[in-house]
Amino acid sequence: MVLLYLLEKEFKQFFRDPGLPKMAIAFPILMMLVFPYAVSMEIRNINLVVVDNNRSVASSDLIQTCTSSGYFNLINICDDPTWAMQQMDKNRADAILTIESDFDRCLERGEELPVGIKVNTINGTKGSIGAGYLTSCVRRYYAEKSPRIQQNYTAGPQLDISSKYYFNPYLDYKQFMVPALIAIAITMLTGFFPALNIVSEKERGTIEQINVTPVNRGVFILCKLIPYWAVAFFVLTACLLIARLVFDYSCVGSLGLMYLFTACNILVTSGMGLLISNYSDNAQQSMFITWFFMMVFMLVSGIFTPIASMPGWAQAITYLNPMRYYADAMRAIYMKGSTLADLWADAAGLLAIGTTMVVWAILSYKKTT
Amino acid sequence: MNEKKDIIVVNELTKKFGNFTAVDHISFEVRQGEIFGFLGANGAGKTTAMKILCGLSLPTSGGGTVNGYDLSRDQEKIKRNIGYMSQKFSLYSDLKVWENIRLFGGIYRLSGKSIKEKSDAMLRYLNMTDLKDELVGDLPLGWKQKLAFSIAMIHNPSIVFLDEPTGGVDPETRRLFWDLIYEAAESGTTIFVTTHYMDEAEYCDRVSIMVDGVIADLDAPAALKQRYQAADMDTVFRQLAYQAKRE
Repeated sequence: MVLLYLLEKEFKQFFRDPGLPKMAIAFPILMMLVFPYAVSMEIRNINLVVVDNNRSVASSDLIQTCTSSGYFNLINICDDPTWAMQQMDKNRADAILTIESDFDRCLERGEELPVGIKVNTINGTKGSIGAGYLTSCVRRYYAEKSPRIQQNYTAGPQLDISSKYYFNPYLDYKQFMVPALIAIAITMLTGFFPALNIVSEKERGTIEQINVTPVNRGVFILCKLIPYWAVAFFVLTACLLIARLVFDYSCVGSLGLMYLFTACNILVTSGMGLLISNYSDNAQQSMFITWFFMMVFMLVSGIFTPIASMPGWAQAITYLNPMRYYADAMRAIYMKGSTLADLWADAAGLLAIGTTMVVWAILSYKKTT
Repeated sequence: MNEKKDIIVVNELTKKFGNFTAVDHISFEVRQGEIFGFLGANGAGKTTAMKILCGLSLPTSGGGTVNGYDLSRDQEKIKRNIGYMSQKFSLYSDLKVWENIRLFGGIYRLSGKSIKEKSDAMLRYLNMTDLKDELVGDLPLGWKQKLAFSIAMIHNPSIVFLDEPTGGVDPETRRLFWDLIYEAAESGTTIFVTTHYMDEAEYCDRVSIMVDGVIADLDAPAALKQRYQAADMDTVFRQLAYQAKRE
């Protein structure tokens, strides 16, 4: 079997490469131990300046409530609004809480609280989330301190809204990112490695020696892909194990399904890597093109930002993005326990793109020019 | 030797890249078992023509046969019965000596047993038995070229194409390399070789000299020297190659 001889060659070359095996090991570790913290979108450590014109027990209680929430760093308590504004101008403060001088009186009488909130919204998300935290702190404080006032409200209709969080009850951002990071790790590895591989044979001239033999081009391409499939399954297993051991997360759905979707995804990315290498003459070219696509794939995949909040045209682009299907499926299986019946659309998307890529890669690899 | 049949037949073979005609309507025959020298200055079109004969490249027009198989249609069949060794060293330098032999034996569909036997015989013949477990990348160039030649012969092809096989190799190793070529030719393999060394041209049964994409002349070295009243092939080559108009 020619296939076996070629596979033997590819595996030996992989393990003898000075970089590849180390990368295959370093990647899952980095992805699972460092990035869940690094890519967290939770907003913490909001720098807060308080302008306290009241200086009463009530006002210091309010400040206490805010700082004990864990979201704020109290920079200073002052009574000069101009100084506070300067802090924001110098980027030392993200939010300013102003407590007016009649704060304790208003609280006692059950009137509206004279409290002002100013936020720096250069980073819109951070700003609005910060404002939200501050408002809810004030509201909580108000509810605690004035049960008397609350009773007055019961005269009117009252809404009692209770929310229940499904699938990720503690709103743990890390748990949300783990399956997506696995998707990124596997897409990157299986996209870059095969592209580099074929191009390096071109650069060394060994591909010519292969092309002058009667070897079947489909077999040759397949032997380029199989080792990276093995690498991808190794990375997936390693990532799942690390998530289990370090964060105590486990996959809610079927592990087999995660491997199945990973197999579909590898078809796409490794096919794409080969395709790119067929059209590039050197490693630099192929790396640049692969990097460009990876970038686009990641940013419009829904991994970092919800697809539903993208404009219509951007949403349309995501349908061409294999990472959208893969990341969506991985998250759904890992966090909700979705089954193939729920995810058939993702599977179909991946298979359609993957088959196109691989067929195109084989057809565009020419032994004779 | 004239009784032997023609193993390569080329008829009006042409290869164009855009407006540039690299190979311009060349026709020639190579006889079975001969050492055929394919000479020409850099850029004369030798490598392009050779790539077409190996099935690596398609002719723009014209054509021919190698081993009876058509150059435009049966490249994959041609590839089964030829060996090829290019000027750019092309074994896998990150594989060991025996692993390279095994790989190409496998690709040419030799049986595991026959690969083992051939590999042992080859290593003994090349005096490389001790270097079996060395990475090919660590071998000196001369050794690499000898190994590459033997591997190109592993499936007993009827023709071996050698594209400047001795480029950059020292004179002593070049001589040893030509010993290998002679032995292969004696066992009936046709040798198709390009070279820039005119002393090597003297070793060939017949040589052709390509200038600007056409074959300027083709004959046995002795006949060529007589025709151009030259003492050696070097003078013959200069006379012909200096007619070149393109760079």
